[in-house]
Amino acid sequence: MDVNVPDARLMPATLAPPAAFSGRGRRFAWTLLLLAVAFGAVPAAIVGTGSSYLAQIAITTMIFVILSASLNHVTGTAGLLSIGHAAFYGIGAYAAALLSTKLGLPFIVTLPAAGLIAALFGFLVALPTMRLVSIYFAVATLGIGEMIYVILLNWVDFTRGPMGIRGIPPIELFGWQADTLLSRYLAVAVIAVACVWVLHRLTHSYYGNALRALREDDQCADSMGINVERLKIESFVVATFFAGIAGALLAHTSAYIAPDNFRFMESILILAMVVVGGLGSLPGAVVGALFMIVLPEALRDIGDYRMIAVGATMFLSILLLPKGMLAEGTALGFVRRSFSRGWATIAGGTPVGWK
Amino acid sequence: MRKNAILGAVLGAMLATTAVQAADREIVIGYQAPLSGDRSQYGEMFRNAAQIKLEEFNASGKLAGAKVAITFEDSKDDPKEARNIAHKFLDNSKIVGVIGDFSSTVSMAAGEIYAAEKMPQLSQTASHPDFTKLSPWQFRNITTQAFEGPYNADWIIAAGKKTAAVIYIQNDWGISALDGFVSGFKAKGGKITATEAFNPGNRDFRSILTKVARQKPDVIYLAMFYEEGAAFAQQREQLGIKIPLYGTSSLYSPKLIELGRESVEGLHLATTFTPDNPDPAVQTFVKEYAARFKSEPGMFAAQAYDAVGIMLDAVAKAGPSVTRESLRDALAATTGYPGVTGATSFDPVTREPAKALAKMMVKDGRFQVVTGP
Repeated sequence: MDVNVPDARLMPATLAPPAAFSGRGRRFAWTLLLLAVAFGAVPAAIVGTGSSYLAQIAITTMIFVILSASLNHVTGTAGLLSIGHAAFYGIGAYAAALLSTKLGLPFIVTLPAAGLIAALFGFLVALPTMRLVSIYFAVATLGIGEMIYVILLNWVDFTRGPMGIRGIPPIELFGWQADTLLSRYLAVAVIAVACVWVLHRLTHSYYGNALRALREDDQCADSMGINVERLKIESFVVATFFAGIAGALLAHTSAYIAPDNFRFMESILILAMVVVGGLGSLPGAVVGALFMIVLPEALRDIGDYRMIAVGATMFLSILLLPKGMLAEGTALGFVRRSFSRGWATIAGGTPVGWK
Repeated sequence: MRKNAILGAVLGAMLATTAVQAADREIVIGYQAPLSGDRSQYGEMFRNAAQIKLEEFNASGKLAGAKVAITFEDSKDDPKEARNIAHKFLDNSKIVGVIGDFSSTVSMAAGEIYAAEKMPQLSQTASHPDFTKLSPWQFRNITTQAFEGPYNADWIIAAGKKTAAVIYIQNDWGISALDGFVSGFKAKGGKITATEAFNPGNRDFRSILTKVARQKPDVIYLAMFYEEGAAFAQQREQLGIKIPLYGTSSLYSPKLIELGRESVEGLHLATTFTPDNPDPAVQTFVKEYAARFKSEPGMFAAQAYDAVGIMLDAVAKAGPSVTRESLRDALAATTGYPGVTGATSFDPVTREPAKALAKMMVKDGRFQVVTGP
């Protein structure tokens, strides 16, 4: 995979592109642009059109951005194909739902608790499965995912089984309640942006390079002194933690959850987001989530052929852009340049490494 | 001068169009159902039946000064999509009421939103006990298992059978079917020998059958859908088990006999709808459905046909200036709606439907009405 970009020092000084504006300026501009979209343009569109439909789609998209970005961390960056991600999303949702309805705990507690409980399960699952590689690990996560779904479905005394859990309170922080759709969106967006930021700092660093190294060749990485097993477990735990957070957000924004929200097809949907966006590319995972949630809604008007059109679009996107919409190499270069996370050895040179 | 004339003509035309619109207001009902995905066959039946009912209604002239249309949206039987649809419907000010969704989980995911935003919702099939408890805005046209279970229990006891084993699908509906039947059966002095659950999608019942047959119950009670019902009956025949089968109304479909063939002979069930019913309303519906869609309508199509009928009658009662509030009140006042699934009334307090059920058994390769126990 094209991860490394040529070192600027090898280029003659005359060929190096001139600095358009300083690294700090670019970084500031990009951050501002992304925040403006999430907290300016989208809320403005929701208020401007008065469309609750748009608000609902925006909330769903933000939740799936967390799911897709977290799965990308383990499957894209660390190369462990997990097809049971929806189960951890479910654990988070049930944790938040049960803690708030049975124990009356506030959102400020249920949100991190949902993440931690999902991460704990992720840790327990990771311990025995981390010795498995490639497709064997995938099948193990498939099995675990199904197991968790079946437990949610059948442990009727605890989860109320297929009856689901009703009356989950909306997001509330220190007396402020997200009872309108706009405020709900804003609360979810703040958390989603925070999650993506944490994943960004983890991925776009030498720690992220270590994960990429074990994806490319774990024996080689091991011989270089990287603690492969520990890193694999860590990446899985981080991913399941964020899946749990996404689950808590689903529970608190939809008021009702049932095991049907966390079926196998949901795991596949999240995986498709990551692959369509670009395996190993965090911006790609975000774009993939946006694409896979918005596209089926945008195509509603064509009626019966909607899902065929969605399938065909996915097929074409993989055929024409096999590395995803924002391929990993491009994405890393983009982050190094536009968020000034790389070291530029000479002014305007191609940045390398991580700050 | 000429400018003014043109302006006048344009204004006149605009006024004329608004006048026409006022005389013929368009009232829209939203219908959300699984039109793609695993459960699309049900959504397809709902849409077929709804179209017949809608055309009948608009031709009947029950509602002067307005035309009713139905907008269908595909929920894929996915709670996530259902929530999006709920908001799409809410944003459309022409939509005064919603029918759907198919499964209880999906109906309730959307129902939470309709309850908060005050939109009347009528599901043709959601049987979750909590569905109508969401808010006064939820209605359903299906009798729940809390009604059907004791009804079947009475029937089995009246036939002189005292012990029963229950096989049920592990979902919200299956559990309510189990509870309804078991409590009704025990209340009448019956004895439950075993209750066995299977997960949705399972088609192998051999181990359950062997286990249940060992205790020799008088009947086996099936709480499942026709695909599983047919598989169950075939495996029962292959294993040579002769215990008679009773089942929930969900088994009632021509497909059950098509898939199960001889093995489903003698299966008893009570249902709200039977195409053999000589009632002219039923016969018109069955003939029209068969002529258009080349298949005999089952219970699900009939449920949707009546749900649409109840909704449209409520619209007619509320008049051409119907709002979401007035439609809810008109729905709540439904009494004795003469549908193909029996006369339907909504309870004034719980909004649960009450219907008369027809007792049936499979005989000579078709469903026949049973008279007596």
